Amino acid sequence: MSDNPNLYVYGITEQTDIELTVDGVGGASTLRTVEYRSLAALVADIDTTDPERSDEAVEAHDSVLQAVIERDDIETVVPMGFGMAFKNTRTLKGVMRGARRALRKALNDVEGCVELGIKLVDPTDGAADPDELRGRLESDLDPLSAGQTDDDLFSDRLVANRSYLVEQDRRDAFDDAVEAIDGDYEDVLVNYTGPWAPYNFVDIRIGAEASR
Amino acid sequence: MLLVDDLLIKPFVSLLDILHAMVLEEMYSVSEIRDSIKENQLLYELGERAQPEYEQQKLELETRLEVAEQVHEKLIGGNIEVQ
Repeated sequence: MSDNPNLYVYGITEQTDIELTVDGVGGASTLRTVEYRSLAALVADIDTTDPERSDEAVEAHDSVLQAVIERDDIETVVPMGFGMAFKNTRTLKGVMRGARRALRKALNDVEGCVELGIKLVDPTDGAADPDELRGRLESDLDPLSAGQTDDDLFSDRLVANRSYLVEQDRRDAFDDAVEAIDGDYEDVLVNYTGPWAPYNFVDIRIGAEASR
Repeated sequence: MLLVDDLLIKPFVSLLDILHAMVLEEMYSVSEIRDSIKENQLLYELGERAQPEYEQQKLELETRLEVAEQVHEKLIGGNIEVQ
C-alpha cells in the first residue's frame, strides 16, 4: 500500500469510531470510518481509485459488509455497489456532503433492517405449482417484512426468487416461517440466504467518477 | 423488423454482415451465459450438483463468457470480419 492510499467505501452507517479487521478488496485488512456530520462511511485503504472487478473482489466486498451487519453495535448499513473508491478523505467528505440528503433518506428507509433472500427451486422440472408457491411466500413472508422485491428468474427451474427487507427484531419469526414452508413442500428445494446488507432496497452510487 | 430497420439505417452494410452479426449475438449471448453461471452456483449450493461437475461447468461457462464478451466488444466496434 502506498504512503497516500485511496479510500474504498463499502457502505454508510450512523455509528462512528468503528475499527474492524477484515479481508477486504485489494488486500485491505482494516475497516474504519470517515465521518461527515451524522454520517459515517465504512472505508479501507486501497492503492487505486479503479479497483478491478473480479469474482474474488466482489466476494471480498460482500463479506466485509456481512461482517459489519453481524456486529451488534451497527444497526443500519446502506451498502455501496462494488468499486466506489476515492482519492482521499477530503474528496470522500466532499462527496458525502453532496449526497447527504440521499444517504440520510436511504438510512431511514432501511433502518434496523437486513436483507434475506429466498429462492424456490423445482427439483423435477415442472412438478411444483409456481402460483401456489409464490402465493405462500406472499401470505406467510410478506407480512413479516418491511419490503420485498421479485428478483430475476435466471433458471427454468427457479419458481420464485425474492428478497425481503426484514427488521432485526423479526428475524426469528421470519426464519420460522421459511422453515415451515420448507417443511410443507418437501419436493421443492429452498435456498434461504442472508443476512445481507440491503442491496435490493437502496440504490445509491455516490459520485465516484467525479472524485478521481 | 429488426433486419429491415438495420438495412434502412445502414444501407451499405450487406445482408450477410447483418445476418452474421445476429448469429453471433445468438451464439454468444452474455446474459444467457451469466444466467447459466448463476444456475450452476445455485444447484451446487442446494446439493443438486456435485463439486467436480460444478467446477467443470464453472470453468467452461467462464471461458464461454470471456469469449462472448470479446465477441460483443468486437461487434460494437464493428471489427468482426465476414469471410
